[in-house]
Amino acid sequence: MLSIKNLHASIDGKRILNGINLEVGTGEVHAIMGPNGSGKSTLASVLAGRDNYEVTEGNVIYKDQDLLEMEPEIRAREGVFLAFQYPVEIPGVTNMYLLKAAINAVKKHQGQDELDAREFLKLIKEKAAMVEMKQEFLYRSVNEGFSGGEKKRNEILQMALLEPYLSILDETDSGLDIDALKIVAKGVNLIRSEQRSMVLVTHYQRLLDYIVPDYVHVLAGGKIIRSGGKELALELEEKGYGWIDELAAA
Amino acid sequence: MTDIIDHYVDQYIADSARTSASLPDWLCAQKESAISQFKESGFPTLKDEDWRYTSLKSVVSKFFEVKVDETSGSADLSEFLISELDSYRMVFIDGRFSQQHSNLPDAVTGGDITALGSMTTAEFEHAPQALTQDQTTKHGFSALNVAFSSDGYVIQVADNTKLDKPVEILFVSLSENTAALPRNVIQMGNYSQAELIERHVSKNGLSALNNSTCQVDIAEGGKLDYYLVETMSNSATQVTSLNAELAKDSTFSCRTLTLGGGLVRNNLTVSLNQPGAHCDMLGLYSIAGKQHVDNHTNVIHAAPHCTSNELYKGVLDQRSRAVFHGRIKVEQDAQKTDAVQSNNNLLLSANAEIDTKPQLEIYADDVKCAHGATVGQIDETSLFYLRSRGIDETDARSLLTFAFVNDVMEQVEVEALRESLSTELAARLIDENVSLSVS
Repeated sequence: MLSIKNLHASIDGKRILNGINLEVGTGEVHAIMGPNGSGKSTLASVLAGRDNYEVTEGNVIYKDQDLLEMEPEIRAREGVFLAFQYPVEIPGVTNMYLLKAAINAVKKHQGQDELDAREFLKLIKEKAAMVEMKQEFLYRSVNEGFSGGEKKRNEILQMALLEPYLSILDETDSGLDIDALKIVAKGVNLIRSEQRSMVLVTHYQRLLDYIVPDYVHVLAGGKIIRSGGKELALELEEKGYGWIDELAAA
Repeated sequence: MTDIIDHYVDQYIADSARTSASLPDWLCAQKESAISQFKESGFPTLKDEDWRYTSLKSVVSKFFEVKVDETSGSADLSEFLISELDSYRMVFIDGRFSQQHSNLPDAVTGGDITALGSMTTAEFEHAPQALTQDQTTKHGFSALNVAFSSDGYVIQVADNTKLDKPVEILFVSLSENTAALPRNVIQMGNYSQAELIERHVSKNGLSALNNSTCQVDIAEGGKLDYYLVETMSNSATQVTSLNAELAKDSTFSCRTLTLGGGLVRNNLTVSLNQPGAHCDMLGLYSIAGKQHVDNHTNVIHAAPHCTSNELYKGVLDQRSRAVFHGRIKVEQDAQKTDAVQSNNNLLLSANAEIDTKPQLEIYADDVKCAHGATVGQIDETSLFYLRSRGIDETDARSLLTFAFVNDVMEQVEVEALRESLSTELAARLIDENVSLSVS
């Protein structure tokens, strides 16, 4: 599904990623953990195509295509989805409008019939129920005045609607209380399937209590310094990120 | 400038010789006084503080003809009509009333809707105070307008009545090189209510001047929803001068929507004369090319416990230029005034220019006044967010531009008008492939 080779990236001339190698197979869920400033969010942004990052070396292949050559909207239509760490408020654009424009852009690109108003309404109601989102939120401006938990739920709603092949969740757990975390995790688990891959970027182990990953990678100084199974997350939780510094120094 | 002054004064003399015998004395006196003022002042220049950002070269270099005869009825106006809009419609062509194109029943319950140019002696005897007492703010344009007093709408709404449909006034410029000078009047009775939509349009590519005035008087508890919709072609010039006088507990909602016109200047003065009066002033200008739009607003709080709420939003593309000058004056007696003003601008091009100038003059000591102005570009983070959901860059930019003006658009309460404006906005500014309807 996704193959990252020797990826280097910088922002304003400052090197953030220093040779990331990562293979994500179809149906796999990978967790990327690391301390603040390790490059986790940069990796997520580079994969989604944010243009304030400069890729200086390496390549990323997604479903046999060069991902880095694609515009952000093409990546989305090809099935790459980024759940934002800080979802953007867009006053004046209703959630409904964004959701419908998004799904039809994807469907059109993939050669499927676009949804008409009725089909869309039926589908979105179903998906909203899945993430326990009240329907009134659909008619409000995108994320405007939403609480932190509501914004994250809205990201998961978009993901559930678009059914991406590769989902990248950038610290979706941060700032969520336990109830909100459970709802988000439930949404993610419902989307999880043998056809879909996921990359969970997180600072804490607690998300992984609810979404159990197949692989865990530890990122430090812009490189993956250790990879393992789900037990690596527990080890990290126990020993703390100080342990990472020792590993990185070694 | 003498030449251009003489040009209009000569036309005035010819017109007066023809019409003055049939006009009441008070109107002749107003006209005489106004032409004297025009002779003295001429058109404003960049040296006038209120006109320093707006060059009138294109207006004063052209010798427009004021149309004095009745208009021919054969023109096809269908391209200018909003078919979904159910209204009482008055149509003026090149400044002259056209009965044939209008859609007015013999009698409108609670309303008296006439054209100034065809008023009879009996009608002049019952003319509203808004007409008999000329309170127009005087500058060269309004003086010229009152001097001719050639035509325009005169609308009176009776006490305790609400008009059952909006009144739509369509000013169409069709003839090359003409000046339309409509002098308009709205008199709202006690606790009366009405919606009025004043639209200005012109044939594409036409060089014309539309110089209108409007005097609004709202009596106690009256409520007027007024829309000024400016969609003339980019070769036309439009100058509008509106003066509103608000009595106790009355409400004036004024929405100025400017999408067209090469040079547009709006002078709006609202006086809150008695306690409890309220005005909303909303403005939207969305311009491109070399369009120039200048909004001057003047809100005068002359009595205690009045409120005013002003929001102007602008989208400027290419080499367009806008001016916003918003003055709020709170007089000494106007305690407990609550006045808010904001002007927000979105620049889509590095070559567009906005000059925004709020001006607060406060002589009372127990008031709430706030003002703010912003100038910005499309937010890159929002743009990336939309693109990351599959929406292409052009559409995403259009969507964000439209979203910027959405809060003003939402306050266009007449649905057919709002739909028509959205379509026009999309056609002028936004990529045609984007459907903006929200289902």
